[in-house]
Amino acid sequence: MARLRLRSDLALPIVCVGLYIVAAAQVRSPRGSALTIAVAAVASPVLAVVDAVGNAWQSFLAGRADLAKTLEELERLRHETAQLHHTNQLLAAELLATRQGSRLLAAFPQFSEGTVLARVVARDAAVTHSMRLDRGRADGVRVDAPVLAERGVLGRVDRVWEHGSRVQLLTHPAAAAAAKPIGLDVEGLVQGGDRPTMTGLPPYTTVTPDTPVVTTGSEGIYPPGLLLGSTLEARTHGLFTVVPMQLAAHPSDVVVVLLLQPAGGSTP
Amino acid sequence: MSLAFALLAALLVQFALQSVHVWWVLAACQPLLLVVVASSRRLAPVSVGWLGLGLGLASDAIADRIIGPGGIAGVVAGLVVALTVRRFELEGPLFWIVSSLLAASCSELALTLLVATLGATPDHRWLGSLAVLATTGTAGLAVAAADRVWRWWRSPERQRRRVLKHL
Repeated sequence: MARLRLRSDLALPIVCVGLYIVAAAQVRSPRGSALTIAVAAVASPVLAVVDAVGNAWQSFLAGRADLAKTLEELERLRHETAQLHHTNQLLAAELLATRQGSRLLAAFPQFSEGTVLARVVARDAAVTHSMRLDRGRADGVRVDAPVLAERGVLGRVDRVWEHGSRVQLLTHPAAAAAAKPIGLDVEGLVQGGDRPTMTGLPPYTTVTPDTPVVTTGSEGIYPPGLLLGSTLEARTHGLFTVVPMQLAAHPSDVVVVLLLQPAGGSTP
Repeated sequence: MSLAFALLAALLVQFALQSVHVWWVLAACQPLLLVVVASSRRLAPVSVGWLGLGLGLASDAIADRIIGPGGIAGVVAGLVVALTVRRFELEGPLFWIVSSLLAASCSELALTLLVATLGATPDHRWLGSLAVLATTGTAGLAVAAADRVWRWWRSPERQRRRVLKHL
């Protein structure tokens, strides 16, 4: 029996021609084959794995983008919160000043004309016994203008600039004001310092503690009747009575002050 | 044995490249052609042609094309690459880069001609062919680099240096 043996190098072009004919047949009558289904079945697990990896990667990228946006938003909100906090502080300070100013005006209705409300911009009650105000010559502030706080007299203006002024507090060693205890027909001099005292009272004057002391206006600076403070336990130096005083107005509590016109019409 | 592993890995990669998550330019890569290239150093040209035929048919099946043109293109690519490698005695990185580019261009040319003569609608145009050329060439370059590193790692010279360093 003759044995047909095909050489490999000859078989290759024959197979190629056969394939070409098969391909032409497929083009003429396109149909889904079992091979397509088998290939799809083999490919599906691999494609599932790749799809899962692709989905995970896309999720990761989307998550990263979201995180970046969230962090950006957080940073913006933090900045905004800081700004709001600052604005809130400013508004609170403004409100405090406004309230104090309105209380101050209500407390001294008799001085409604020619007065100036000023805000305290700096204070040094311990060393220089002075405070700086934000109102000056341009606002009608003059030297020797009495300075009032809500509770009473704080001091007087001793220096004036165009847009600012300095107040010499009653605790200043050089400060002084003519005063009298309420209920007594005597006049003395309240002198400043770390421990303000009332001196110059007539001999043998008896002053009970906690008696309110008001200005008399004799020194030509403060209008009469303004509260300076209250008396403490009086003591006697020879013939004279010396009365330590507790001042009514505390510079540390003051945010807004009322400046009156100087009694003698002092020049700037 | 290593050729069989390469074939299996190439088939898996070819499957994976069909995923919608793969960029279309990358999806144009033909890792099966690299197996044909790899076999051209070990097998006779006719055997390389047969391997190209089988892998081309597999490529047709995976790409859901009409079965046949890919196989014939694989035969052409395998024969051309095998003969070129023998004629010019290509070795090293040059072998991988030239062979992969040659295989991709021959395969694409043959496929285009066959599809045109059959009157069928091609599944890609010249841009797709360009992507096949670029990605397969790049894959060849990557294999060349990996081959170079592998050879350096296994080289007796490196082994001797290591031994001398520990003396």
